[in-house]
Amino acid sequence: MFLARIDGSLVGTAKHETLQGCRFLIGQRLDADGSSTGEPLVILDWMGAARGATVVVSTDGDVARRKLGNTTPARLTVAAIVDSVYQPARSAQ
Amino acid sequence: MRLGMVRGRVVLNVTGDPFRGMRLVIVEPVTAANLAARNGLGGGTPLVAADPLGAAEGQMVAFVEGREAANPWWPGRAAVDACCAVIVESVDFRPGDKE
Repeated sequence: MFLARIDGSLVGTAKHETLQGCRFLIGQRLDADGSSTGEPLVILDWMGAARGATVVVSTDGDVARRKLGNTTPARLTVAAIVDSVYQPARSAQ
Repeated sequence: MRLGMVRGRVVLNVTGDPFRGMRLVIVEPVTAANLAARNGLGGGTPLVAADPLGAAEGQMVAFVEGREAANPWWPGRAAVDACCAVIVESVDFRPGDKE
């Protein structure tokens, strides 16, 4: 799992049949200092994460498989929406 | 899933069973800077991905990587670790904005 910031969303034309009706967000993985890594990721969301939100992204496809069936290629899902991140060692620097 | 621009196709000569009839495309991953600039450029290291959707050259796709990319062939097996899952129609990408 890793932290990501939601920077947008995506609309598709043709999709894998299991992905019909899914909500696709575009987020960027965050480094330890909170900066984005520069590579956009497409993340499935059932939590209702808003633009600008920090989320926990799971790279395990099991959640998607349970919801969408065994043939779904979906992998990245929003596992949680983050309230705050506490890193005492970093804030002391 | 990452985003990528479809740059071409791969045609196979000798192959094993699951790859027969499978469409393979060259995908160039899109960086955040290029996505925000909407310039149609990729910028990442190109890779080969299975493409059951039939994406055309120049189209943007979202592709899955890893074990999950072989799931569409379940319960069969396929040695696929990258697969196009969505052909992108539009992207709303504004880094730094808040709702």
